Amino acid sequence: MRTRLQVPLPSRAPRGFSVVGLLVFVAVVAALAIFPQFVKKPYVLHMGVLLFLAVIQGQAWNVVGGYAGQYSVGHAAYFGVGAYVTMMLLEVNKIAPWWGVWAAMAAAVLLSLVIGSITFRLRGPYFVLASISVAEIIRLATLYFKDFTRGAEGFLLGEIPTMNLFGEEILFIGKRPFYFVGLGLAVVAVAVNWVVQHSKLGYYFQAIREDQDAAHSLGINLSFYKNVALSISAAFTALAGGFYAMFVKFIDPNTVFGLDVSVQIVLLCIIGGIGTIVGPVIGAVVLVPLSEILRNPKGLVQVGVLSADSGFVTFVERYLSNAHLLVYGILVVLVILFAPEGVLGVIRRAAARWGRRPQDVPPTAAAKA
Amino acid sequence: MIVFLQSVLSGLLVGGVYALIGIGLTLIFGVMRVTNFAHGELLMLGMYLAWLAFTGLHLDPFLSIVLVAPAMFLWGAFLQKSFVNRVLGALPQNQILLTIGLGLIMSNTVMLIFTSDYRILTTTYSSSSYKLAGLSISQPLLYAFLITVAITGALYWFLLKTDTGQAIRATAQDRDAAQLMGINVRRMSVLAFGIGSALAGTAGALISPTYYIFPQVGSTFTLKAFVIVVLGGMGSVVGATLGGIIIGVAESLSAVYIASGLKELVTFVLFLALLLFKPAGLLGKTRA
Amino acid sequence: MAILDIKHVSKFFGGLAANSDVSFSMEQGMIMGLIGPNGAGKTTLFNCITGFYPPSKGEVLFKGVRMNGLQPNQVCHLGMVRTWQKVRPLAKMTVLDNVMVGALARTTSLKVARQVALEQLHVVKLEHKEDFLAGGLPIGERKKLEVARVLATKPELLLLDEVMGGLNPAESEEIIQLILELRKGGLTQMVIEHDMKAIMRISDRIVVLNSGEKLAEGAPQEIVNNKDVVSAYLGEEVE
Repeated sequence: MRTRLQVPLPSRAPRGFSVVGLLVFVAVVAALAIFPQFVKKPYVLHMGVLLFLAVIQGQAWNVVGGYAGQYSVGHAAYFGVGAYVTMMLLEVNKIAPWWGVWAAMAAAVLLSLVIGSITFRLRGPYFVLASISVAEIIRLATLYFKDFTRGAEGFLLGEIPTMNLFGEEILFIGKRPFYFVGLGLAVVAVAVNWVVQHSKLGYYFQAIREDQDAAHSLGINLSFYKNVALSISAAFTALAGGFYAMFVKFIDPNTVFGLDVSVQIVLLCIIGGIGTIVGPVIGAVVLVPLSEILRNPKGLVQVGVLSADSGFVTFVERYLSNAHLLVYGILVVLVILFAPEGVLGVIRRAAARWGRRPQDVPPTAAAKA
Repeated sequence: MIVFLQSVLSGLLVGGVYALIGIGLTLIFGVMRVTNFAHGELLMLGMYLAWLAFTGLHLDPFLSIVLVAPAMFLWGAFLQKSFVNRVLGALPQNQILLTIGLGLIMSNTVMLIFTSDYRILTTTYSSSSYKLAGLSISQPLLYAFLITVAITGALYWFLLKTDTGQAIRATAQDRDAAQLMGINVRRMSVLAFGIGSALAGTAGALISPTYYIFPQVGSTFTLKAFVIVVLGGMGSVVGATLGGIIIGVAESLSAVYIASGLKELVTFVLFLALLLFKPAGLLGKTRA
Repeated sequence: MAILDIKHVSKFFGGLAANSDVSFSMEQGMIMGLIGPNGAGKTTLFNCITGFYPPSKGEVLFKGVRMNGLQPNQVCHLGMVRTWQKVRPLAKMTVLDNVMVGALARTTSLKVARQVALEQLHVVKLEHKEDFLAGGLPIGERKKLEVARVLATKPELLLLDEVMGGLNPAESEEIIQLILELRKGGLTQMVIEHDMKAIMRISDRIVVLNSGEKLAEGAPQEIVNNKDVVSAYLGEEVE
């Protein structure tokens, strides 16, 4: 038994409405929304978009992996379906992405119901293996059925039509529009996660995570609730996929259906801390800049943090630029060994020590009084 | 008919190597109940070691296994002692994530050193083959197969006839009981991971003349290894041997009779069906 | 009409009979004690009744409805719920959240569920621990939590699997008082227990299982004087 559990901790699912939490959330979103007024460097906005993308992916996985405890390592299936359906509807059928993405999400939900009915009968490592296999089957099928999917050639985006929003014309050129769309979608993803956490669904998902048999005996229909969790998760992962396709403008089976995509989504949440809203956000904030700097250190020069002849840039470009996943690997090993609750857990523990809260009084109890 | 025989034969030869990969994985699972998602990366390391020995020392890849196997054994033992051993009691998800992390570290470190270029190890006999009654037998695959048979035989002897081998099997059967019987379970775990890693590395060296060598080659083999092991029943060495051969032949047949682009897809579909209908493996008893 | 009717229930695992041809019935409001040596098939019978295993033969009727083939969650919604011999706290959720999960079987409103959960925590005297993680409770409180959680599902029939196991005498006494209190409130209960003194005190009737078969049934006094029962327990502690 872990002695760590002996320490009383505050409730994981805060009751009611946390005014402070909401204020912080609104302040952060507002700050991010006016941020492009001051910083216009494409590299920074680019990183912002990737960050929002990671937040959407992380929040989406969190519903099924973090709350319901079903560690799917096959989310690339939904991400890829989101990307392909959105892209193909635009390129082949000339349907604007803001309509096409709905179809993509619907397709992902349907797919999740099929996958769920297969994989949720399995537990532990078998579930993980099954979820990987399904995603691999879809990747291989996309590669093979060239007539329909163009196979390994992939899709290159021509142009996104002009959007007419309340009489205002929005051109999807440069990073700015994507920054705002990404921010908006990330806010929606966080909000949905909050609603899930503060509803019967959230309680039932967590009960399933903690003990399936106990949950079953307490009246929880396991397969129904697992499928609900997966559907919500699949829909938002597909949304992220559609957004990715429009932003990056090129997709092929290996970049959107690859095992790497699934693994990155999971690790993002594990490293940040699962089962909470803040966890995946922290994971994104830690990992996205790190791996992006390794991928393209020149950006730091553009931003002005480093000079062009800096040794760091040369070093990273020469040795590290292909190995951005190394960061994921090292961090996940550290987290599993030393901080199973993720970076968020580390922060919380540090905050508790700093705040010198008496260990035997749970903070929520004190706050309520 | 000749096409059929030919593809069964090629499948068999590849299946021998698959069996080696599967046996390593199943040993690790049997002894520690840890699903090692870094198994393919261990194989990838074996490939690179063989390639280094070939380009640096001009050592034939099939001879290089005398260096590769001990090196990979030590590496595996190190991984077990410093990482895997710490999560033996943890949730299965965490064990999986840890080994995924270790795999990422291995493949990305190799990429840092050797870049992501595809390497080819060309021996004088790389594309030669023997002809026998209308069948052609690829020389490198044949050698690989024969060495595999020898290693598998030696491993069976080790597991069945030596004290250490029996202790490993006892640990796999019931860890707690083995501990009560005075078996040093920790040592067996280190040994099992070492042997598993050595087998994966050896398999890598054996296929290095016939496959492209690149840092990401591991993940395909990790998945394949799991298919093989689940097919034979997790933890069963005999099952993994059979599983390897079945998958080798199945891939080869579906490449000929369905489509070569679909051979892996077919494998995964079969795997899913197996997980659903016979989760204990072909040899295992299905739970009531 | 009997609230629970167990008719010729058998459960086989491979060739082994964990239960064979067990029949008895329970009236509304009573406490039925279920006793027997280790491996007598008591927990298996619980599993058959609550939908975790389908019975191999025979049928289980609850309020006249056939339970065979229903899932545990459906059984719970019909008003029959069990606790676990080896407690199953939802470890990383708080005590209150654990009980709320039970309460949510009858409502979708968190507010209502919280109210119900607080009431049940009060019933088992665990309200001072509501904000603690369930995984960190000592065994006595985990057992109480288990009871509070099933009570929150508003059952008509409660199946308690060794709720006093591993408790000290004072804690056991608390549980006994709780069970008796619940009966006063009209709740029907079936209780598996090893502590003979306790089971004799609380039960209206007792069923004795031995090697999967029903050995005897009767009022506590009859069971104590039953020769078969005494010989089945020979070597076991009969206090």
